[in-house]
Amino acid sequence: MPAAFAVTSLHKRFRTRFGRSESVALDGLDLEVPQGEAFGLIGPNGAGKTTFIKCLLGIAHPDSGRVELLGGKPEDPRSRARVGYLPERLTLPGAWTPRALLASVARLKGLHPGRAGLDGLLQRLGLAEAGDRRIRGFSKGMRQRLGLAAALVGAPDLLVLDEPTDGVDPLGRVEIRQLLAAELARGATLFINSHLLSETERICSRIGILSHGRLVRSGPLEALTSVQQRWRVRFAPDPPTEALVALGFEPVEKGAWELAAGDAAVLNQALDGARHAGALLVELERASRDLEDVLSEALAAGAA
Amino acid sequence: MTAIRVALDLLREAAARRWFLALGLALTGLLLLLVTSLRLEVVDGALAASRLFGKPLDHSIQAADVALRPVFLAASQFVFWGGLGFGVLSCADFGPALLSPGRIEHLLSLPVRRWELLAGTFLGVLALAMAGAVYASAGLVVVLGAKTGVWTGWPVVSAVLSAVAFGSIYAGMLAVTVWVRSAALSAAAGASLIVLGLLATHRTSLLDLMGRGPGRALFAGVTAVVPPLGKLADAAGALAASAPLAPGGLVRLLAGTLAFAGALLAIAVWRFERRDF
Repeated sequence: MPAAFAVTSLHKRFRTRFGRSESVALDGLDLEVPQGEAFGLIGPNGAGKTTFIKCLLGIAHPDSGRVELLGGKPEDPRSRARVGYLPERLTLPGAWTPRALLASVARLKGLHPGRAGLDGLLQRLGLAEAGDRRIRGFSKGMRQRLGLAAALVGAPDLLVLDEPTDGVDPLGRVEIRQLLAAELARGATLFINSHLLSETERICSRIGILSHGRLVRSGPLEALTSVQQRWRVRFAPDPPTEALVALGFEPVEKGAWELAAGDAAVLNQALDGARHAGALLVELERASRDLEDVLSEALAAGAA
Repeated sequence: MTAIRVALDLLREAAARRWFLALGLALTGLLLLLVTSLRLEVVDGALAASRLFGKPLDHSIQAADVALRPVFLAASQFVFWGGLGFGVLSCADFGPALLSPGRIEHLLSLPVRRWELLAGTFLGVLALAMAGAVYASAGLVVVLGAKTGVWTGWPVVSAVLSAVAFGSIYAGMLAVTVWVRSAALSAAAGASLIVLGLLATHRTSLLDLMGRGPGRALFAGVTAVVPPLGKLADAAGALAASAPLAPGGLVRLLAGTLAFAGALLAIAVWRFERRDF
C-alpha cells in the first residue's frame, strides 16, 4: 500500500522573537502512514502533535528532514488539493454563512460542487437547518462540525483532523465517528490528533505516541494494548475462589479474573480445572490495557 | 487565478461588514441629497443660476463645464483624502483577520500558494478602494451630467488615481501585518505613510530647512521613496477639473507609486513565504 504521507528525521525548533531561547518541538521524527489507514497521534500537551501536522501540511517549515505528502511536497498545491484539514482552533469568518464558507473552500480547491453538493455536505454534518445562518452565532460544537464539513469538501484522499470532536456533545461525537468510519470505508486516510484517548481508540487502527517531539511508540492498536499471554475470565456468581487461585487465576476488579497462559493447551487445562471445581465460565477474552495505560507507560519509558 | 478567487472572497467578506455598508449608504445618501436639493439652470450651455436647498448660490454666468470644474476638483480631493483616511481605518483589519490563528492554518492547507493569498488580499482591498472611489465620482458625474448636460469621464479617472494612491499605502499596511498581526499597528502604519507622503510632497523645501546630519539624511532617504501624496492629490484634482498637467509628471508619479507598492509587496511576500504559523 503506498504511503499517504511519510516523514523522515523531522526536526523543528522554535525560537523566541529575539532568539534568546528555543524549544524543541520535533526531534528527529520518522513516521509513515499507508493510504486507507486510520492513524491516531496521541501525546501530552506540548509533545509536538500540532507542530507535526503543520510541518506535514507546509504551514510551518521544518528545520530539517523530509516530508512527502501524497507523493508530492507539502508546498505543492496538487498535493494539498487532496487533503482535508481541520485545525485545532478553527477561526471562521463570522459574517459568512456555512454555505458561503463551503463554497469558498470549494472554489479555492478548484471544485464546483453546486448548491446540491454543498447542501449534501451540510446535511451529513447535521447543519442543513443552519446553512444560511451567520457563523458568528454558532456554538463551539456547530463550528467544529462546520470545520469538519470544510475538511470534507471534495472528498479528500487524506483527512488530517486536529481534535475533531472537541466541543461536540456525546451524541454528536457518535455521529462524527460514524462519518469518519464512512470516510475510511470510502478509501480515505485518516490522521487524527486527539487528547481524547477513547475517541482515538474507537476510530484508529494504528496509534503513535509522541513525547518531546519524538515518536516513543507506534503500532497497531491491538499490539499496543494487548498483554501477551494473559486472559480475562468471568465466572457465574460465587465461584470456588480458593480453587481458582490454586489453578493460577488472579482476581481483578468487578468479579473478573486474569490468567497467564502461554498457549491454548495451558489455557484450556486451567479452564477445565475451574469447571471441574464447580466454576461456570460465562466470559473469556484476551486481557488488554486501555490506551491511557499505554500512554502513561510510554511516557514514563520516554522520560527515563 | 487563485489570487483573484482570494480577492473575490475578500470582497464577499467586506460586503458583510458594517463599515462598507455604512460607506455605501453614506455615498448613496449624499448623491440622493444632491439629486433632490441641487437645482441647476443651464441656458445655451451656460450655467445661469443654481440653487442648493432652495437658496440661490452666488456666481456669475459662465459655461457649465467651466463652472463644474471647481466642483469636480473639490470632489476629487474629498475622494482622495477621505478615501485614504477611510481606507486606512476600515481595511486595517483585513490582513490581521486573514492571519488569525485557526484561519491562516486552514487557508494554507488549501491548494493556494502563499504569495497568491497575499496578492489576493491586496487585490481585493484595491478593488474595494477602486469600487468606492469610482462609485462616488461616477455618481457625481451622472448627477451633474443629468442636470447640466456636461458629461466627462475625467473625475472617474481621477478616482482611479486615488485608489492607486491608497494601494501604495495598503501595501505598507500589509507588509507590517505580515510581521506583526495587529490591526492597530496596520492602521498606524497606514497613517504614518500618509504623513510621510505629505512630507515627501514638500521634500525639497523641508530639506532646505534642515541642517546637515544623519536626521536629514534619513529624512531625505525616506521621503525619496515614499509617494508624494500631495502631488498625487494635485494630479487627481487636475485630472478631475480637466486642468493641464505637467508633461510626463503624472507618469513619473504613477511609476514611483507603483514601484513603491511593488517593493513593499515583495518584502511582504518574502517574509510571508518564510513565516511559520
